[in-house]
Amino acid sequence: MPKQKLNPLPSAAFQILLALAGEELHGYGIMRQVAEQTDGRMRLGPGTLYSSIRTLLEARLIQENEPREDAKLGGERRRYYRLTSAGRKLARSEAERLADLLRVARAKKILRGQYV
Amino acid sequence: MSEKIYAWLLRLYPSHFREAFGDDALQLFRDRSRDETGCLSRLRLWFDLLSELALSVPREYFRVQPELVTYSAHLRPDGVPSFFVLAGDSLGSGALLFGSAVTLAALITFSVLLNHGVRHVPLSALVRATPNAAKEPWSQSSAPAREPVRNSQGQAVSPASGEQPGMAENSSQFENANASDSSSNALQPPGMTPPFKQQNRQPQGIVSPATANTKLDAAERYRVIDGAVANLKQHYVYPDLAQKMADALRTHAKNGDDDAVTDRQEFANLLTRQMREVSPDRHLTLDYSEAPLPKHSAEPTPEELARYREAMKQQDCTFEKIETLPHNIGYLKLNSFPDVSVCQATAAAAMASLNHADAIVFDLRDNRGGQPAMVAFMASYLFDHPEYLYNPRENTTEKSWTHSPVPGNRLANKPVYVLTSARTLSGAEQFSYDLKMLKRATLVGETTGGAAHSGVWHRIDDHFGMGIPETEAINPFSKTDWAEVGVQPDVKVNAGDALGTAVRLAERKLQKK
Repeated sequence: MPKQKLNPLPSAAFQILLALAGEELHGYGIMRQVAEQTDGRMRLGPGTLYSSIRTLLEARLIQENEPREDAKLGGERRRYYRLTSAGRKLARSEAERLADLLRVARAKKILRGQYV
Repeated sequence: MSEKIYAWLLRLYPSHFREAFGDDALQLFRDRSRDETGCLSRLRLWFDLLSELALSVPREYFRVQPELVTYSAHLRPDGVPSFFVLAGDSLGSGALLFGSAVTLAALITFSVLLNHGVRHVPLSALVRATPNAAKEPWSQSSAPAREPVRNSQGQAVSPASGEQPGMAENSSQFENANASDSSSNALQPPGMTPPFKQQNRQPQGIVSPATANTKLDAAERYRVIDGAVANLKQHYVYPDLAQKMADALRTHAKNGDDDAVTDRQEFANLLTRQMREVSPDRHLTLDYSEAPLPKHSAEPTPEELARYREAMKQQDCTFEKIETLPHNIGYLKLNSFPDVSVCQATAAAAMASLNHADAIVFDLRDNRGGQPAMVAFMASYLFDHPEYLYNPRENTTEKSWTHSPVPGNRLANKPVYVLTSARTLSGAEQFSYDLKMLKRATLVGETTGGAAHSGVWHRIDDHFGMGIPETEAINPFSKTDWAEVGVQPDVKVNAGDALGTAVRLAERKLQKK
């Protein structure tokens, strides 16, 4: 079931995996990180964010850590998420798939040389 | 404030999502609102939230929870067959489409069948089918309460049968009660109220065993005409007209005008027409009954009285519904005008329970009549002074007046609405007619059945009988009453819509005040 949901991997899920590649983050942190890595093109709303998080949790691609406070954001306890090894593997294979696509695109002269 | 709005919007998500992430979603909203200040940012925030809401809410609802499936499967005790009800896949659009189509088809079929069935209610069909049907109680479908006393009927299964106590909802009771009042040789057992009075008159004419199987022949025609002539001469209120009618009947017979008729019902109708050609009296009828008319009248036995009391008790004296509708409108559904001596307390209690109302709706759509004394009793609550209630059967007597004012009653000046249908008959028509003529009520619904029953019933033979007016009741309102033509409503709508219409009228009237 989760496999079906994640195959193909939705871009929101892939972005979340990428966001968590560096460090563990809470929901809002993920949202900001995704916005940053897409130059603000993807702003995950709560519904999409948490629904994706749940799917990724179910597929054991990410896991939840003990809730704790974020020093910068005040006293509220937050759930933190981090990448599992399976998640890291999937993110890598997705990146490779995209890289393959990129090579094809470049071979077909769809992309101009200076970009990638 | 905006957080509250968002918290409310979050309720659109399915509960499993809210339970798992509702707090987190709110937290994220707080974080974003704290960080994204300024008009434009705020606008963007809400745009994001709303557009995302539109997409993710349906997605969440279509999401099948795998943990639910496996969990419920684990719960099954060993040895008991268990089934996976939830599939791993969400339903395909084909399956959803098929399901919707089947549901829609079932709904349509059900509603069509329902409407189809309603059109075939035998009661209304009978009343509408023949104008005479209303006057022939034996042709009406029998109400449950009437059944027990049916076999105990004395003189009549005919209009005269109304004496029977169990026939409160039978229109004929109303007629006969009146008949007994106005006929000089009516017997009045001590302590009995009108419906129990007996009309012990011996039938005029010959008793002949006419049957439905044989054709009407000349001999039978003459027997019936002889009987009709004899009854007319003896009982009709105007002797000179009676003579003229008798002559007309004989002349027609002699001229062979009746010879072509072999159907008994048609023959009865023909004789009625011949008499009315002389004097257009709607209350004078000659009727045919396929079922033999009982020969002797019988007074109700104590058992029959007890049965009637029991039947009335079980049916709350046919006070089917008493309610207070919104805007303090009292609603009373009354399905007959039962015997006052049995039901006075019930009727008084019903009216007392509506005493607080600002307007009152009498639902007489299923009321087939009853006792004029009860009509007067009920109407008494609607006036602050005694009011004359016209009744085609009765001369002005003490009983024609309401007993107004009723002590403690506050309904005398409240707006009154009466709901009518084609099934509203006899005593219920008297109630409607008089309140309409006295401008005391607004009638809403259909034209009533037109059963005035002002003639006293006289048996000619086993199958033929006559309704003959014996007194001249003075109608203070108009030349004609509701005999055969019915009472016209003030507001004509289908019976089914009458309550809604009356309530709207009442509300409008109350608002104006």
